[in-house]
Amino acid sequence: MQRRLQESVDEITRLRGTLGEVIDSLPSLILVVDRDGVVEQWNRRVEQFSGIAADDALGRQAAMLLPQFAGHLSCCTEVIEQRTSLAATKILVQSGQERRFYDLRIMPLEAAGNRAVVQIDDITEQVRIEELMMQTEKMMMVGSLAAGMAHEINNPLGAILQHAQNIERRFSPDLPANRDAANSVGISLELLGAYLEKRGITRFIEHIREAGTRASQIITSMLQFSVKGEVQPREVDLSQVVDQAIDLASNDYGLKKNHVFRSVSIVRDYDRSLPLVPLVVSEIQRVVLNMVMNAVQALSAEGAGHQPLITVRTRREGEQALLAIEDNGPGMDEITRHRIFEPFFTTKPVGVGTGLGLSISYAIITKHHQGTIEVLSNPGQGSCFLIRLPLIGAA
Amino acid sequence: MKDSAAVSVLIVDDDLMIRECLVAFLEDEGYQVKACSRAEDALKVIAENPPAVCLTDMRLPGMNGEELIRTVRAVAPGVRFLIHTGGCYELPDDLVEAGMNAEDVLLKPIHDLSRLARLVSARAGMLRE
Repeated sequence: MQRRLQESVDEITRLRGTLGEVIDSLPSLILVVDRDGVVEQWNRRVEQFSGIAADDALGRQAAMLLPQFAGHLSCCTEVIEQRTSLAATKILVQSGQERRFYDLRIMPLEAAGNRAVVQIDDITEQVRIEELMMQTEKMMMVGSLAAGMAHEINNPLGAILQHAQNIERRFSPDLPANRDAANSVGISLELLGAYLEKRGITRFIEHIREAGTRASQIITSMLQFSVKGEVQPREVDLSQVVDQAIDLASNDYGLKKNHVFRSVSIVRDYDRSLPLVPLVVSEIQRVVLNMVMNAVQALSAEGAGHQPLITVRTRREGEQALLAIEDNGPGMDEITRHRIFEPFFTTKPVGVGTGLGLSISYAIITKHHQGTIEVLSNPGQGSCFLIRLPLIGAA
Repeated sequence: MKDSAAVSVLIVDDDLMIRECLVAFLEDEGYQVKACSRAEDALKVIAENPPAVCLTDMRLPGMNGEELIRTVRAVAPGVRFLIHTGGCYELPDDLVEAGMNAEDVLLKPIHDLSRLARLVSARAGMLRE
């Protein structure tokens, strides 16, 4: 009898050990709580996540120990009483500039009526892949739409822009045919020119040309999504390419006139030991130019007394080259950050931004270079774009 | 340098507005200009009086621009072609082998018509480019 009892105790101990090991080796964060939300079990993953050892966690409120999930954990009593599971997906947990996503489920324990098991899974990678796929799909859609539309839109645009040029030319006293026609109807081209100027008509024609040019640039930009990178990448010094792009930005007429750009300090922090990176120089320069212009526009929103700063870093991260472009501007909120690479998404006034710059940068990095691009930002904390390019086997 | 008045240009485009603005511009520049809306009509004009330069759209009803170029090359190899297109266009190998290059492709809209004049003159053998 005594021996059988001992055997049963041993068996229970062994089973508990196995069960504990199983729970500890699961990839999920697992905790068991009672009807008051007090922790009864706390697996190794939760220990790693929270930095709180199981011995310290047992007997304490789960919501206090895991404040990131406090809102959901406060429903434990309800789950136990109503004997229905609760599930929440894509819970955003922000730690500094890092964003991670979690799925959480609270299930009542059927056998032990007054307890519930909480399972929390890190789904950050899954969410990133989903976002990446959505982004790629959107770009492909814009690309095929643009390819189809380009021909149809460029024809009327051609007529608008070219006729505007013809109109300007036919007002000019320099063309003999204009003078002959003016003479035949008894008017002076000089006086006609003065009238057109006085009534602002010459400016209206200029505006037609400018607006037409802007529209045609949008079509050209949209076509970028459908064009596979045709130029072969070559191995170059990334830091040097970034330097050239910053010089290009410095020479950009629009930026030269920008008082913020004139006062912005650009810190160049390059990893000189970074190996050569296979890339298409013109495309990466375009991306950097875009980022710098965006940063300058963001910095323009800051008030007087703010010292605008753009920091450009290159680093090696394993088999990837990292390029970080950071500004100390006003940063962006969650919604903006989420949509930042979306075609046609812009926070700029009409005519200032097309909402295509960053989505084209996205296409260049992810499609043409098999790299990744992400943004870290919070309101009031500036923005940091992180571009990672494979050091080998790209494009 | 030849006089532009001696240079004949044929425009082929199914869009009336595009034809009109190109004709107006090139006539102002002193060229002799004709225009057709279809490649089939262009073939008749070329057979009667081949122009020095033909500026053709690619997407045309019936015979397209590429077919027009190939057909004309067989019967009137002296006609030089410029392509005027609204979409992305890559020259096929046979036209590249025939001596055409990316500079012969003008994308719509043409932002600066004086570039067209320079190209037409250059293709016509004038020294304006």
